[in-house]
Amino acid sequence: MTTATTPTTTTTLDTELLQALVDRLLAMADDEVILGHRDAEWTGHAPILEEDIAMANLAQDEIGHALIWYQLIEDLTGQDPDQMVYFRDAPAYRNVQMVELPKGDWAFTMLRQYLFDLYERLLLDRLLTSAYRPLADAAAKIRREEIYHYRHTSTWVERLALGTDESHRRMQAALDRLWPFAAQLFVPLSGDAALLAAGFFPAMDELRAAWQEAVHSFLTNMNLTLPQTRPVTAERDQHTHWLPILLGEMQMVARIEPDAAW
Amino acid sequence: MPDTEWPRYEVFKQDRPGRPHEAVGTIHAPDPEMALLNARDVFVRRPECYNLWVVPQDQVLTMTRMEMELNPNWADEAIPEDAPMRTFYVFTRQHHRRSMVAATHVGEIQARHHREALRKALESGRFTDKPVYLWMIVPADAVTSSGEEDVEPMFAPAQDKRYRDQSYYGGLIFDKNALKRREREMG
Repeated sequence: MTTATTPTTTTTLDTELLQALVDRLLAMADDEVILGHRDAEWTGHAPILEEDIAMANLAQDEIGHALIWYQLIEDLTGQDPDQMVYFRDAPAYRNVQMVELPKGDWAFTMLRQYLFDLYERLLLDRLLTSAYRPLADAAAKIRREEIYHYRHTSTWVERLALGTDESHRRMQAALDRLWPFAAQLFVPLSGDAALLAAGFFPAMDELRAAWQEAVHSFLTNMNLTLPQTRPVTAERDQHTHWLPILLGEMQMVARIEPDAAW
Repeated sequence: MPDTEWPRYEVFKQDRPGRPHEAVGTIHAPDPEMALLNARDVFVRRPECYNLWVVPQDQVLTMTRMEMELNPNWADEAIPEDAPMRTFYVFTRQHHRRSMVAATHVGEIQARHHREALRKALESGRFTDKPVYLWMIVPADAVTSSGEEDVEPMFAPAQDKRYRDQSYYGGLIFDKNALKRREREMG
């Protein structure tokens, strides 16, 4: 997969704006590759065959989206996407903690994916008009699949939340666990003000408000209770102990045989 | 042991506007909305698609030529006097070739129930220009269809992705140069 455009504005970006852009792209790319890896862990283990295939599709989509964001970084800095994914250690990753948590049960996986898909969909909507053209082009391409992901995962959340006593209990337990972590998606990065001023990225406050409004109304309609727990406000370089374990598995083959072709 | 399987749905795929729907297989789902999503994920990850239908399998009458020959009374079934006329879609298979498609949509019949629709379809002569090896009779009101608005998010992205058969990878994975040569040949 390759991105269709080559940025023409790179030479005009000042150092501060360039760094801000790379930081945000890395956050997006790392979120997607780690979530995609967790989703891929269901391959061969999903509750039914159809959903096994759907989940493998979804995982592949997320990893494909990550590649698009990594390639935008490559266009700006020359960093190789494979190097970024397979040869960085946990402290250098910039994903939120929510996506690195173990896959849990099906309710946990579907709710995590729902919370993330909604965030991503709302972000991509706003990136369609980004003044950084490669970002707008990539958003247009990715957004189609995200609309489908959102439909798939919200459909599942609805059915589990309103299903049997057990499925409801599991969905509420997933929400209790995930809710504080979801807040970290909106923790600002140091370069966000520069990105907003340049028209490259939307205001994170407004994005968070839109996300909260949509999530509140959807989940409360599903008879779920939003917990009053303290949100995770850690910076994106802070990780749980789960990330190094995940990376150990994800990077193992690439590190054993760095020159292998795929 | 109770049957814990979800109900089965027949999946009908239309590649492009104006083309007939084709029976491509079945999926399990708890309800029609999830059936559509599962049908998309199982049958439209790569191939072309414009529209999908899903129909509960117990609402589809499937009959082979041999079944009709073995049971000449297949059409005999009591029809309630007040049963309303409905539209049934007629699907046929008229070849023995190996194919991913079980049957193709060839027309509609008005009837009061499935077997009457099949009998009328036979008698009309409209669908039997060549021998029919398999019939599928699908009530129009049992169809859940994807919409125009689903084309972009559900079906369009697949067209941008390269599809490779499994055999493409045979022996190439650990031969970097061979893989690169193949990539160049493929453009």
